[in-house]
Amino acid sequence: MAQDERPLEGWDPGPIEGAALAEAVERAFDYRGDVTLVRRAGGELVGYLFNRDADAAPPFVQLFAASGGDPVTIPYADIRSIRFTGRDTAAGNSYAAWLRSREAAKAAGSARGA
Amino acid sequence: MSVPLSQMWTVATYVLKQRLRRNPRYPLVLMLEPLFRCNLACAGCGKIQYPGHILRKHLSVEQCLAAVEECGAPMVSIPGGEPLMYPEIGPLVAELVARRKYVYLCTNAILLKEKLEEGLFTPSKYLSFSVHMDGLREEHDEAVCREGVYDQAVEGIRAALRRGFRVTTNTTLFDGASAIRMQMFFDEMMDLGVEGMMLSPGYSYSKAPDQEHFLRRQKTHELFSKMLSNPKKRWKFNQSPLFLQFLMGKWDFECTPWGNPTYNMFGWQRPCYLLQEGYAATFKELMETTRWEGYGHRSGNEKCKDCMVHCGYEPTAVNTTFASWKGFKATVEATLTGRL
Repeated sequence: MAQDERPLEGWDPGPIEGAALAEAVERAFDYRGDVTLVRRAGGELVGYLFNRDADAAPPFVQLFAASGGDPVTIPYADIRSIRFTGRDTAAGNSYAAWLRSREAAKAAGSARGA
Repeated sequence: MSVPLSQMWTVATYVLKQRLRRNPRYPLVLMLEPLFRCNLACAGCGKIQYPGHILRKHLSVEQCLAAVEECGAPMVSIPGGEPLMYPEIGPLVAELVARRKYVYLCTNAILLKEKLEEGLFTPSKYLSFSVHMDGLREEHDEAVCREGVYDQAVEGIRAALRRGFRVTTNTTLFDGASAIRMQMFFDEMMDLGVEGMMLSPGYSYSKAPDQEHFLRRQKTHELFSKMLSNPKKRWKFNQSPLFLQFLMGKWDFECTPWGNPTYNMFGWQRPCYLLQEGYAATFKELMETTRWEGYGHRSGNEKCKDCMVHCGYEPTAVNTTFASWKGFKATVEATLTGRL
């Protein structure tokens, strides 16, 4: 379950509880893509996990469901697993891509002017 | 310095009231983010990387006004995302102006001319368009990762000035910025006729695509000293002179993370505009339950180590003006002489 350096996109830790659940929640909070939250009572919720409070009584997470509507609050105790199913929108390096395209454009311009 | 007298007076009386009440923590500027959607994807920005359904959402005007009332700060900055893409931006600004809040609408100005032609805004001393300009044409277009944006922004600025609006610029500086080119940029902005400029070093957002070009403290001091040690009289800065002196290394300030609290669709952001460590449901909860001692340069928090950004240190600079004769004297001197 060590995910320290690996991308989270696609990660499925399976059924989790306790410290493993708390760690997965932290990772989901930091993740800039949708997750699928599997409930202990059955059923799944796909959405963006934007907040959590591990110190609250009881601890909870908050999501905006991908299907829309107001934020949903779910206690940690109701969570069976969290799958990182959405695209990580902060992944990739658009700055490097921009630099490459700019250099290519400059090179093309120089070639035309030569 | 170019902050209008009425605005200076409003801020001064507000700060003095807070000090007389012995309020140790008070907000100065509410950072109100009505949406995260933007028409640019700048290399240094970590604000817009969200799934599509989040980018399509926005706050209602009622939610925005409730946050403004709850916070009570005399100034409201509307960043984002791009606030001119917010469908209710006209009514929101009108409501804020009616409440005599000093509004800085932070925009890349791509849509500014179009929105002005639609008659969405009315000139007011309470409203300033704060146009994102990260330097001269070449530097700006590189920072926003798109050619032609500098020219669009200049066109927007001219259109706003022609209609009698207050226009300022906001500039984020990164490693590699040239002091000489920045001085040329200051001249160019003054030639354009903007009221004043705002400067800040960038912050290394963990989600920003470009992680390599953020200024560390020593480099920040060197760059700002080179740029501002002999400022031209005509350069006007729309910010605390003590903050600029801090960037030049003349003051040793600590961060005031609660000075510019941030509200968006997720709630009240802990602890500041730059870091996202959770959200409080109310402003009171944010102020009372955030572990403030864990943030700032001296806290030992790695995320705060090199940060010198305006949203944390400008409130400290403003507070310093009113907290000591030394601060007050330095502010008055810089304001009257233009020297930093």
